[in-house]
Amino acid sequence: MVSYVVRRVLLGLLTVFLVLLLLHLLTTLAIQLNGNPALAFFGDHVPSASQLHAVEVRYGLDDPCYDQPGNPCLRPFWERLAQYAHGDFGTDLQGRPLTELIAQAVPNTLRLFVIVTITWLIIGMMLGSVAARFRGRPIDHSIRLTSVLIDAFPVFVMLVVYRFIFTVPLTTWARRTFGSDSVPALLFKPSYSDSHPWLTLIVPGLLLGLTGCAPFLRLVRAAQLENYNAEHVRTARSKGLSNAHVTGYHIVRNSSVPVVTAVGFVFADALSGAVITEGVMNIRGMGNLLWQSVQKSDVSVVIGVVTILSVVTIGVMLLVDLAYAALDPRIRYD
Amino acid sequence: MLHRRLPVRRPAKALLAATAAIALFATAACSSGGSGSNSSDSGGSQKTIHLALGQDVDTLLPMDSNVGDNIGVLDVVFDGLVRYDPKTTKPYNYVAQSIETTDNKVWTIKIKKDLTFSNGEPVDAASFARSWNYSAYGPNAMANNYYFERIDGYDAMQGETDDDGNVTVKPKAKELSGVKVVDDLTLQVTLTAPFAGFSTMLGYTGFFPAAKACIDDIKACSKKPIGNGPFKIDNWNQGVELTASKRKDYKLPEVPNYDKIDWKEYAGSSSWPDFQAGDLDLGAPPPEQWQQANNDPDLSSRKVTKETADLTYLGFPLYRKNRPWDNIEFRKAISMAIDRQKIIDTVVPSQSVPATSWVAPTIPGGKAGTCEWCKYDPAAAKAALQKAGGWPSGKVLNIYLGKDDTNEAYFKAIGDQLALNLGIKYKLIPSEDFFAERSARKFDGAYRNNWFPDYPLNENFLAPVYSSGDPKNGNTNFGYYDADFEKAIKEGDQAPDIDSAIAKYQEAEHVLAKDFPTIPLDFSNSVTFYSERVDNIVINPFSGATELRQLKYVG
Repeated sequence: MVSYVVRRVLLGLLTVFLVLLLLHLLTTLAIQLNGNPALAFFGDHVPSASQLHAVEVRYGLDDPCYDQPGNPCLRPFWERLAQYAHGDFGTDLQGRPLTELIAQAVPNTLRLFVIVTITWLIIGMMLGSVAARFRGRPIDHSIRLTSVLIDAFPVFVMLVVYRFIFTVPLTTWARRTFGSDSVPALLFKPSYSDSHPWLTLIVPGLLLGLTGCAPFLRLVRAAQLENYNAEHVRTARSKGLSNAHVTGYHIVRNSSVPVVTAVGFVFADALSGAVITEGVMNIRGMGNLLWQSVQKSDVSVVIGVVTILSVVTIGVMLLVDLAYAALDPRIRYD
Repeated sequence: MLHRRLPVRRPAKALLAATAAIALFATAACSSGGSGSNSSDSGGSQKTIHLALGQDVDTLLPMDSNVGDNIGVLDVVFDGLVRYDPKTTKPYNYVAQSIETTDNKVWTIKIKKDLTFSNGEPVDAASFARSWNYSAYGPNAMANNYYFERIDGYDAMQGETDDDGNVTVKPKAKELSGVKVVDDLTLQVTLTAPFAGFSTMLGYTGFFPAAKACIDDIKACSKKPIGNGPFKIDNWNQGVELTASKRKDYKLPEVPNYDKIDWKEYAGSSSWPDFQAGDLDLGAPPPEQWQQANNDPDLSSRKVTKETADLTYLGFPLYRKNRPWDNIEFRKAISMAIDRQKIIDTVVPSQSVPATSWVAPTIPGGKAGTCEWCKYDPAAAKAALQKAGGWPSGKVLNIYLGKDDTNEAYFKAIGDQLALNLGIKYKLIPSEDFFAERSARKFDGAYRNNWFPDYPLNENFLAPVYSSGDPKNGNTNFGYYDADFEKAIKEGDQAPDIDSAIAKYQEAEHVLAKDFPTIPLDFSNSVTFYSERVDNIVINPFSGATELRQLKYVG
């Protein structure tokens, strides 16, 4: 088991390295083709060569390789790797350390993800289990139909519709009925408020979680159905164990493996959905940070944030694989 | 990271996972950056204004601020030597006691006594010199660096680079030789050449003073600037919220009647729902919500519209020879074939007005109607095109612009009108690299240009945009040169007082009107909606921003 984990960690490090290299090449090409962000600094005014150079130094883009399209610019790449190895993750275009930006953004994204996960579990697991339990009955059909409907709705449509159509009337109503600092008024506040971090995140998190729970729901149902007809379940039933005990003790756990796999996939999906959610609801989280820095061509921040997100994703995949071993004793790694 | 709680199994693993999830919950909740503490906003004794700020504001250093949002904040945190009248945009002395010159080249600025920064330091001649030297020093790469081009000693502070960007000559000086601190309250500035508009420039953000403590720790100062204005910054949670409160020791008269300002940061125009919900005091809707906002009777009763000095115009690469647009009749034809009002009504309704001059009518020296051929007259346009020799059939006119959805729609409408009225086929070429391509003179066709003035004077629409001093190549962006134009500008720079200078600059605009090198299209409108808690919304016609010092809190 230990050697398995070590192998996976090493593989993970290699993946992170490749991600970094690819990102570097892409952003370098983007700067070479789209124009140095240092030029955009001057807007309509035509800068002199030395003014432009001063801004390029400030942005860390003064290596001449940035003027030659196609040049892979490996020297800045190694410099950046060396910095990362020393724990120096660089600064944004204004000189703010990346660690500070991330420390500010991570709690918001984490809170959003906690709400999203709870939504998945409650809606996905519960409804999936119910659909499996009452297979073929009306409730099963309606749950499956609803999941298809939810799946068809892109997350940004839900969010934009919610924010621009529903929040204002809902907030005004809630404020009038319950008072302006009341819980319902804050729940429907049109944008995220730093002084009430959890309350103003519940609805966006719910909506984001809804979009991810549809595949989850169906996977749970399918996995459990497989187990309903399994031999060990029939044995348990014939022993006289109650339905509840059989469902909870034998079925759910054994159907967890494909579900846990889904967690891995949907996690990556939710990460990109978070960018949209945070953008629409004005939440200063990792997704928003990434989005803003891409728009500003802030290379350091883009690479730094994506690196961290890749590390996190790889970590989650590793945990998912380890969870298999925990859930199913037949699965062992050596 | 995610922690997945196993639903029913009670053994240790599930419990462990559950505990971990709860711990995560707790730490995330406790570590919330809750420094934005205006939870009790019942007014009480503290009158607070709630405004929106762009999330991409990344500095509050005056030397480095040249964008609308930064400038708006700094307008209440700092005072300049002069301020601009909110209605006429004419400058008047504010921190300066007097600004005098006999030859428009050497300026003597006397500063009022006993003024202080919010940290107690005196606002004296040295504080202005300090700030200006910091901006003018090339390696600092400050956004407002080029404003100091006109002052003696600027060139020595830039150094030189070769074509590859390698520094060949380091800057020789760290201070402007043309800026002299004569005594505590007197500053003497020597320009490289006479310029009548110098005192007008002094109200701009780039000319604000800097405290010594600010220069000593520039990074802290960019986040929490030390200003000499009526408000001081309390806290800036970057990307989230900025708060400022009134100074108790402020001596000058322009102080608003509210005590605190709370800026919440938003990406793009996403602050509109918050304004509708009553959380903000000023707001403007995004284009999709425009109609709805204007049709709402309650909202539109709380709306202020003002024409600004933001000009959009069409340019031609006159540096390329033997092209159809070399001929003035061709350019006239293009201009008269464009129905400016119709395009505005369709693409950006109520957000612009057609331009009939190269200088904004809203600033000193600007006058509408200087452009004779800026009217819509398709018959005259066809005649002019004929006179120019027609347009080669099958040839396509390229129209270059930067990447932006609204601009692309706008210029597509222009292209369609040219096709309809003159039979000219066009191709829209939006590009990310627009600025670089324009200065590298890569265009072969018409292109969109935009000009927003740096200070309220007609000269700023003329000299920086069209002047070059180079009869052979003309100016970088357009290749334009006219000796009469350069002469009028020079005479204006040397004029004995600002009014005669303005008259001379107007003559330069008439030369432009005669030469017709570019085609003025429109001036933008600034539109603001306001809440019931505030009154006296005055939009500055030069910047398009709401004057915060004029804003009244009525609760």
